[in-house]
Parts: sequence; C-alpha cells; structure tokens
Amino acid sequence: MMSLGREAVCVNTKTLMYILKRVLLAILTVWVVITVTFFVMRAVPGGPFMSEKAITPAAQAALEAKYGLDKPLMEQYFTYLKDIVTKFDFGPSLKQRGRDVIDVIGDGMKTSAKLGVIAAFSALAAGLVLGAVAALRRNKLVDKVIMVITTAFVSMPSFIMGSLLLVVFAIRLRVLPANGSTPAGLVLPIVTLALYPMAYITRLTRSSMLDVLGQDYIRTARAKGVSGPRIIFGHALKNSLIPVITYFGPMLAYIVTGSLVVEQIFAVSGIGRAFINSITNRDYPLIMGTTIILASLIVILNLVSDILYKVVDPRITLE
Amino acid sequence: MKKFVSLLLAVAMVLSLGAVALADDEPTTLAVCLASEPDTLDPALNSAVDGATMVSHLFAGLAKWAQDENGVLVIAPDCATELPEGVVNDDGTVTYTYTLKDGLKWSDGEPLTAGDFEFAWKRAASEELAADYGYMFEVVAGYPNDLQVTATDDVTLEVTLNNAVAYWNELMAFPTYFPVREDVVADEAWATDPSTYIGNGPYTMTGWEHNSVITLEKNPNYHDADSVTLDKLECYLSDDNNNMLANFESGAWQMIDAVPTNEISRVSAEYPDEYQVVGQIGTYYVCWNINEPILPEGSELTGAEAEAAEAEIRNAIGLLFDRNYICEEIGQAGQVPASSFVAMGMTDADGSQFYENAGHNDGFVGYFDVSEDALESNYEQAIETLKKYYEYDESTGQFTNFPTLTYLYNTDEGHKAIGEYLAAALSAVGINMQLENQEWNTFLNTRKDGDYSIARNGWLADYNDPICFLDMWVTASGNNDVQYGKGEHADLAMYDLDLTELGYDIKVEDGTWAETYDVLISTIKSCTDNAVRYQLMHIAEDMLMATGCIVPLYFYTDIYMIDSSIQGFYTNPLGYKYFMYCTIDE
Repeated sequence: MMSLGREAVCVNTKTLMYILKRVLLAILTVWVVITVTFFVMRAVPGGPFMSEKAITPAAQAALEAKYGLDKPLMEQYFTYLKDIVTKFDFGPSLKQRGRDVIDVIGDGMKTSAKLGVIAAFSALAAGLVLGAVAALRRNKLVDKVIMVITTAFVSMPSFIMGSLLLVVFAIRLRVLPANGSTPAGLVLPIVTLALYPMAYITRLTRSSMLDVLGQDYIRTARAKGVSGPRIIFGHALKNSLIPVITYFGPMLAYIVTGSLVVEQIFAVSGIGRAFINSITNRDYPLIMGTTIILASLIVILNLVSDILYKVVDPRITLE
Repeated sequence: MKKFVSLLLAVAMVLSLGAVALADDEPTTLAVCLASEPDTLDPALNSAVDGATMVSHLFAGLAKWAQDENGVLVIAPDCATELPEGVVNDDGTVTYTYTLKDGLKWSDGEPLTAGDFEFAWKRAASEELAADYGYMFEVVAGYPNDLQVTATDDVTLEVTLNNAVAYWNELMAFPTYFPVREDVVADEAWATDPSTYIGNGPYTMTGWEHNSVITLEKNPNYHDADSVTLDKLECYLSDDNNNMLANFESGAWQMIDAVPTNEISRVSAEYPDEYQVVGQIGTYYVCWNINEPILPEGSELTGAEAEAAEAEIRNAIGLLFDRNYICEEIGQAGQVPASSFVAMGMTDADGSQFYENAGHNDGFVGYFDVSEDALESNYEQAIETLKKYYEYDESTGQFTNFPTLTYLYNTDEGHKAIGEYLAAALSAVGINMQLENQEWNTFLNTRKDGDYSIARNGWLADYNDPICFLDMWVTASGNNDVQYGKGEHADLAMYDLDLTELGYDIKVEDGTWAETYDVLISTIKSCTDNAVRYQLMHIAEDMLMATGCIVPLYFYTDIYMIDSSIQGFYTNPLGYKYFMYCTIDE
C-alpha cells in the first residue's frame, strides 16, 4: 500500500512537472512569435499612414509622434512588451482611429469562436457517427460511400470547398446567404470549416474501431452474450476515441488557421479577417495583437490536447 | 441514427427558412454594400469614398449635392439659408458670410450653432489632427493652424479665403467641411460607436456591428426630415467583389458599389437595368520615373540634352498603346480612352470640358489622337522618333538596343492584364518590358520613393477643379511619384515659363522644375482672375505632358449595381452615393 501511494504521488509530481515545463515552453514560444513578428513587420516596406493620396510630412510626423512610432525601434519593442505583460494593453489601432486593438480582436473573436466551436463539435459528432457506421458496415455499400466522400473532403482545400458551397447554395439554389454577417450566413462557413476535420475523424474512428473490434476482449464480451449496442457503445467506441482525442488539438488549430481563408471567402468578420486586413494596412498594433492571440490559441490547444491524451490513456507517460 | 439524421434535417430546414425570411426586406429599408469596414466615420478624418457616402447621410454641411426638379445634379444650400457670393477685400482675400437656417439641431436634440462649424473646420485643418484631407482647407486664409473662420453669432459664419476659389461652394458639400460638436469629439472613440455618434444629417447611426453592418435610421431632428423618403439604410461591409455580387444576385442586397471585372460582361448582359456605369473624375495612367535612364548604352547625351531626348522617347512610347483595346477588352466598364491627364468631368473656365480644350490640337481632343483611325499614324510617328535614338532592324521591325524596362503594379488581376498588354505592345517593336507586382502598401512606398522605372498609377479628383491634378506634381508634393525636381532632375535647367502675356512679371528661360513648374502652380493658387487661372492650368498640363512621364490610358468610370425597383437614387462625380430620397416600387 505504502509503495503504491508513493508511486501515485511520484506520477503526479512528474505530471505536474511536465505540465509546468510545457507551460513555460508555451510562454517562450509566444515570446519568440512576438519578437519575430515585431521586427519582421517593421522591416516590411510601407507604413500605416501610407495612402494613395499622401498626407503632408507635418501630418505624418504628428501621427508618428502620437503613436510613438518616432521612437527608436528597440524602445518601441520594450514598451510594447511591458504594456502587454503588465497591463495586457495591446494599444490603439492605427487605421481604425479611436478603436483599441483589444476591442477589434474582441469583436472578431466573438464571431470566430462561434464559428470554430460549432464547426469543431459538429465535425466531431458527425465524424464519430459516420466512422462508427462505416466500421460496423465494413465493406458494405454504406462504408464505401462514406469512404469515397470523406476522401474527397480530406483532399479538397477549404478555399475550393468554400467557393463550391457558395456557388451551389448561395448563388444557384439561393437557400443560404453568401455573406457571413447574419446567423444564417454562418452556416456555409461552418460547414466549410467542419468538412475536413469531419472527414478526418470519420476515417480515424473507422480504422481505430476496426482495430478495437478485432481485439480479444470484444470477442470475449460477444461470447459472454453482451448485447451488440453495449459492446459498441460501452467498449468499442470508448476505446477507439483515443486517436480521435489526439487529433482534437490539431483539429482546433486547423480550424483557427482555416478560418483565415474561410472568413475571407464568406466575408465573415472574424479575427482571421482582422488579421489579414491588419497586414494589408500595416496596422502594427493590430498585427501584433491578432498574431499573439492566434499563436497563443494554437499553443494552448496543443497543450490541452496532449494533457487530455494522458488522461484518457493512462498507459501513456509524459516526458 | 435516424433521430440524428432527422434532427440534422430539421436544423437545416429551420436555417434555410431563416435565410428566406432575411431576404425579404421591409419596403422602406435598403440593404446596400459600398465597401468594407470604413477606417473612420469621423467627417474630418475620413478620406474614403464609401466613408464619404455614409458621412453625407449622417451629417449636413452648409451645402449638399442634390438633384433639381429636372434631375440635374446641383450644389444646393443645406444648413445655410443660401450660398452667397464672396466679397473681395482690399488685399485680394475673399470673405464669405453664411447665415444658418433657424432651429438647426444635432441628432441628440441639442441646438447646432455657427460655432460648431468654426470648431469643426479649425479641428479638421489642424496639423494636430493630421487628417488625410486636412489640405482641403488650404484655400482658407490662415491654413493650417490659424484658420480665418469665425462664428460672429449663433447663426452667422464668416470665412476668409486667400483668393477667389471657383469650387468653394462644392467644398461646402465636402465631408471634411461638415460640422462636429466639441463635446462629442472630445472622446477620440466617438465615431466608432452608435451611442456616441452624434450628427446633424438626414440619418442617425443606430447600429454598427464592426466588419458586418452599419445601420442608419431617419433622423427626426434633421431640418429637412420631411423630404427624406427612405426610413432605414443598412450598409453591409464587405471588401470581396465576388461576395458582393453573390449577395446582389441572391437579392439580399439591393445595391452594390463594385462588380468583379471578370463578371462584367456576364452581368451587363444579364442585368441591363441594374448594371450602371457613370462617369467619375479620375485618370488611370502610367508614370515614368523621370530619373530612370532609358537612352541606349553608349549614348553621348547627358544632362538636359539627355532629358530632352528621353522626354521625346517617353512620349513616343506612349503613342504605341491602343487605348481603345484597353478600355473595351480589358477594362470593360465603359472607360474612356484618355489623351490628357486632367480627367474628363473637370469643367473649364467657360463651363466646357477642360480635357476637350487640352493640348490645343485641331481635329482631335487632348495631346494625341486616341481614335482607332489614328493608331497607324501614331505608330509610325513613334517609330520615326525612336529611330533617332535606337538601332532599328528594318527586316524584323524591331529595336535592338532598347534597355530592358520594368513595369511595376499593385497585385490585382485588372492591373496585371493592362501591364501584360503594355508589355506585349512594346515587345512588338523589340522593347522588352518585364512585369513586377507588389502588394498595395509596399507598392505605394516603392512608387513614392521613386524605386521604379515605370509604374501603374491612378488619380481620382477630390473636387471639380483641375488644380487637384496639377499641384500634386510640385517638387515637394507627397504625391510626386514621377520625382519631378528631385534627384538628378533637380539640377536640370531646361524648362521655360513665360507668363508675361497673361499679365505676370514671370519669364524664365532654361529654369529648373522648381523654378518653373512650382512657380506656375503657386501663381495659379494665388490667381484671382478665373479665366487667366484656367489658362495657367492648361499651361501647367502642357508642361507635364511635354515631359512624357505621364502616360494617360483612360478616364475612370464608376460601376455599380442597383435593383431596378429603386427610384430617386443618384451619385455625384466623386463617386458618392445618395439614398435619402429613394423610394421602392412594389
């Protein structure tokens, strides 16, 4: 008993240490992203006050002084870092005068998060069901149809899928709006975002379920007369979830980055579009803000998925 | 499983019902899309056409663009009782005195006074605000920081200009001249939120979902609210032309302010009543960097002689392009082939078109003949000129020692197609021109810094006066992309300017750009005789065109689509759209 307890504590400490290490690594990653973005962004030609009709040098100087862009670059960098760390202050947008970067990001985040979360859960639900059906009806017509369709979805990039859905449902059939500014308008972008991960999850679930269904303990359960549904839901599906869970992190990351393209196609006012526009506008604080948020999201999602992995399958040791 | 499928079906059906319901609009509401999220809706800070349209619905200046009973576009008084003539003072300055209408109110019910105009104008012109369009106040005495504008009482506004300005009334309808209230704009974020956005125009802003939609509703406090027929205007925000068209075709939006170029031929055929092309005062042109050497290797010409030769060469090359082809096959939106820089739509001193009097040529308009009949003679003339400087192989019809050129444009399918055509036209005579594209902001920077040899360019007017096409080429101008009077060109004393016949004591022979063109522009700006002023502006354009650095291709048009059930809609030559007097046929 004693030795067992100590082992448990030991594992917990190890897990904690691992998590701590990963968190530190995550912070380091985000810092590197901040630093690289800050300097690369400033090295790109052009500037936030550049327009077809040039403003006078006096006006340009007044604006640069107002936003501190006249200070040495290193000083600007350290001021920026200090404001982020101590005050969580992302500064004002240079292009949308009067608005703070955090407001612009907040607006974008609301839409993008809605889009991403719905896409992720519908992909998961549909993928699991389709995958299980395909596995249980292995080599039957249903299975083949599902496999063909998912292969198509997996190999089609989101900008093609999005354009295709837009042409069919918004222009030809006219059942859904093409712009993502209304709730109904979010259907197509969500579907576009969800199809790829859904197809991927379907295939993962199918192969993993086939693997599990061939295991001895399933055969034993069958031999003991356990009912079909109980075998599937109680044993097979649960155990085939492990690879799916490991995919959850990369999937969310895919959805976050995929939204850059999808938001552009459907004119959804999410963070992805804010990010792209900020680059075109050289809106430095907004470029930094969106980059930091997107990078942090991806880092955090990967971290959470790794930890989840451990929780689901205790055999896995975290190093 | 069955349950799941039926649930999915149910959800899909509900959602599609929602979509159908959304497409159904109330009769007095219009859903339109002008462009993407405006950078600002502060009248003083805005410099975009879509922003100006919205600001013109949310604010009222001393004057407005309106249609008279015959549907002709006029500048009519708005907040002012009338638009008076200016009074010329002894020192040549001109003073205008405006009387405001009685009982003017802001959208929150507060009274609007002449002092609000004074405050707004001083703010908009100030260097401290650093507005893109601050220079629109350049004509007012005391610009930028001591503007001569005073509210002598609550309803009287007095403003003094450096000299008579032909387009002054038009400026009164320009958004930068709209009033704002001091306590409202004290918070810099005022123009980003409907709750703090207080105007005095036909509409108030009742909603702004950033990047999505801006909602305008009729302002009961507007002095002329009774004649406003449209109750609600929803301005959807999108920068994707294909998306805009999809929404127009699906019926979700009734007016869109852009059409994707590759869809123009289909759309114009399928929607003859909806597809609209109107004039816009602007010129699409190609500009040369004046300091880029283009003489063949081994040429002995230097300094002013070299520049004179290069000016001749650039002008000759400009003759090799078929502008009709560019307009009809590439632009496809009713653009007009251009043979002068100051755009079509600018009026001359006598009310005729400025561009029709440009170039002083008989038989054709402008500095060269752009008609299709003249293609061959233009070509021959160009070849003869170029033969003077380059080796020409008669058997192949190609020049053999023309240095390779690079054409710079900002990444865009339309600009690319034009670049490809220009390169093909030059390659037919043995001139190799490579294409290089840059992303917009980088492109602006490169062009402004003069790090290019030839670049795509375009200019849209801010007001109906040729000076806005001419003063951009003075040495110190931020828009002097050609680099006139900069670098090597600064020292080239080769230009003549003789204004003695027009009553000025100005005669320069072999002067530099700064000594001639810059002087000419400042003369124009202080000229009080309208007829002389226009003559001076023609001289300025002659000087520009003689350098060959500006190669006009076409005059812009403004294309948009509007549902055929909408009546009472109009636009102005600056591209602003007016919806307030719209009605919708059932």
